[in-house]
Amino acid sequence: MGAYRADDDYDYLFKVVLIGDSGVGKSNLLSRFSRNEFSLESKSTIGVEFATRSIHVEDKVVKAQIWDTAGQERYRAITSAYYRGAVGALLVYDVTRHVTFENVERWLKELRDHTDSNIVIMLVGNKADLRHLRAVSTEDAKAFAEKESTFFMETSALESMNVENAFTEVLTQIYRVVSKKALEAGDDPAALPKGQTINVGSKDDVSAVKKVGCCSS
Amino acid sequence: MESKVVDENEEGPVVPMRVDRFGFVKQEHGPTEGLARSRSAFEYQRDERRIRKWRKMIGVGGSDWKQYVRRKPHVVKRRIRKGIPDCLRGLVWQLISGSRDLLLLNPGVYEQLIIYETSASELDIIRDISRTFPSHVFFQQRHGPGQRSLYNVLKAYSVFDRDVGYVQGMGFVAGLLLLYMSEEDAFWLLVALLKGAVHTPMEGMYLVGLPLVQQYLFQFDHLVKEHMPKLGEHFAQEMINPSMYASQWFITVFSYSFPFHLALRIWDVFLFEGVKVVFKVGLALLKYCHDDLVKLPFEKLIHALRNFPEDAMNPDILLPMAFSIKASPLSLSLSLSPFPPPSL
Repeated sequence: MGAYRADDDYDYLFKVVLIGDSGVGKSNLLSRFSRNEFSLESKSTIGVEFATRSIHVEDKVVKAQIWDTAGQERYRAITSAYYRGAVGALLVYDVTRHVTFENVERWLKELRDHTDSNIVIMLVGNKADLRHLRAVSTEDAKAFAEKESTFFMETSALESMNVENAFTEVLTQIYRVVSKKALEAGDDPAALPKGQTINVGSKDDVSAVKKVGCCSS
Repeated sequence: MESKVVDENEEGPVVPMRVDRFGFVKQEHGPTEGLARSRSAFEYQRDERRIRKWRKMIGVGGSDWKQYVRRKPHVVKRRIRKGIPDCLRGLVWQLISGSRDLLLLNPGVYEQLIIYETSASELDIIRDISRTFPSHVFFQQRHGPGQRSLYNVLKAYSVFDRDVGYVQGMGFVAGLLLLYMSEEDAFWLLVALLKGAVHTPMEGMYLVGLPLVQQYLFQFDHLVKEHMPKLGEHFAQEMINPSMYASQWFITVFSYSFPFHLALRIWDVFLFEGVKVVFKVGLALLKYCHDDLVKLPFEKLIHALRNFPEDAMNPDILLPMAFSIKASPLSLSLSLSPFPPPSL
């Protein structure tokens, strides 16, 4: 891990999860976004990893708390607890391995079973730099994303392509959901309290989205 | 493992790598390894004496070992806690884990598993091979002898026990063993550990639902509260739970991200005394950093719990501290819990 950035100056705090099959590049997407690092020699993730980064959305500082999870099916026993309270998710597959795209449907179900319906989901086709090995077409993925009403982007953590965009888009969309909810609720979004830190295992686990849209359910 | 310069890059100009005494590629500006400094004449002589004692204790090819353990268990325990001499580690690990006996009882079985059986986990294993100890020279070369033997051991196990199959994390355990013994020996040691030849079977850590990991994390949480109430309270307030930092400690027995010289010392004790040393080392780490940890907010806590300072990772400081953590009456809540308390 690189140097820790103490950054407590933010307007919103959003919890985001990175999920998808083992070996699709989740950890490298996160290290690219949080520290601008990429490693061809990274270890497989055991359990969960964590990183943060703040970005500007409109005139607000939005801080993302991102949980990176082990992709192997058996680890869901541990990792699924981390979906709770997430307001955004990057569901990653590997454009060179079709099976990782086929499994997206199961990941999506897993996510919808464990999270709030307002969660912002982005389907991410990673390793787009490996053009000669591509096994999932952009069109197929786009069609799937439309059908499932998720956002979609292809990325390359190696070439640093679209990584920033993918995370920024997710955070911006979450921000929109939150401010829209706030408006519906009659609040001034600018006067909102700081987003709540959402952690696993808390008793009254509410997400920033839910907190603002408290009257919806 | 001797330090050496290797040049096995397959393509491009040959770039010599510097490796430490365990075979890990040195980072240019990385932290200094605990044992890297040159040894004094005094230390050298002390090590020579230790090795002589150990050789006597083991006998030729391990012939005197069992008798010695039976006669002087406390001497053995004390010497193991001081660290098994590196040149004898592989042999002693096989003796104390019970894997030597398994090997002798099952001639030809390993070969059978490797050659004739196929595993449903083959692709999963292959995908993780280059992601296991990627900075070690033995495992670095694509399709080299290290990667091949790691694959073989993991595949053999996934066939040997199809319920467990292959689970991420097992590679670090097998990889660590392979640095000290042959493929077949490493396989039987893995069997001894997971099937519980001497201690509690580890297989529950890798079975569907990871039940034993969940149990250990639950118990660890209680032990933190019991041994360090102030820190336990702080963790609760900051909503930190052990799955955020300690899963890897249990699943790979500290071999995933801890300095290798520390991992080896923990493994010496782990193989002889069992999983309780994992709890104790974990508690000792928290204890050592206690006064810093109680001041940190959530994010800094997570970071600190994954990046312990170098002095905390010194085995000669950390391990005595771990051994000093004694069993004490466990709280009522723990005895009423679905999991029995660990006896430390």
